[in-house]
Amino acid sequence: MRVLFFAQTRDATGTAELEMKISGSLGVKEIWRALIAAQPKLAAFRGSTRLARNGEYADSETKFSDTDEVALIPPVSGG
Amino acid sequence: MEIEIQITVQPLAAGHGLPDKFSGNAGAFAEFSGIVRALENGQKIAALEYEAYSPMAENEMRRILETLAEKFPCLAARVSHRTGIIPVGETAIYIGVTAKHRAEAFALLAGFMDRLKQDVPIWKRCSLTPEEFAASAMARN
Repeated sequence: MRVLFFAQTRDATGTAELEMKISGSLGVKEIWRALIAAQPKLAAFRGSTRLARNGEYADSETKFSDTDEVALIPPVSGG
Repeated sequence: MEIEIQITVQPLAAGHGLPDKFSGNAGAFAEFSGIVRALENGQKIAALEYEAYSPMAENEMRRILETLAEKFPCLAARVSHRTGIIPVGETAIYIGVTAKHRAEAFALLAGFMDRLKQDVPIWKRCSLTPEEFAASAMARN
């Protein structure tokens, strides 16, 4: 699974992306658990940061697989 | 509704005007430019830096425009968002909306800007002081 970091999450992890191996089909909670295990500093962003799966916001029903691209979307501020 | 979306590091044009193809059919053309101001949180700055998750940002902008167009039918919308370092006085975002009537054009434009600031993955990353901006300009040249 390719994981993309933007804005504050990129600053915190010091990287723009990483590869993470997951098995089966995981929900948002399990993905967060795996992300925080890989990058403990992400714990601080869990309450404010949304996940996207293949370019669309994830919700409580979303399932992630190993071939997906996951992006961490901190609060946005465009315009 | 015809939709055109662009995310670019290049400077944006000040305005585009009514697309020729809608001349005679459109009764309204509304455009908005969001411009970098010289004060950010009370501090004098020379530029802002934006970053985007471009593929998703383009998809989200299109989705927002399509959703709004169901309620406020318009003929066309053109959006450009600039990323990278944007000097004070230059345009960060431009939207031009063509419609038959002004009410739909105004409503779609205002609704889009509100939703952009909630859902579109673009970030105002940092402000650059005049000294920092000068140093970044030297580094780019």
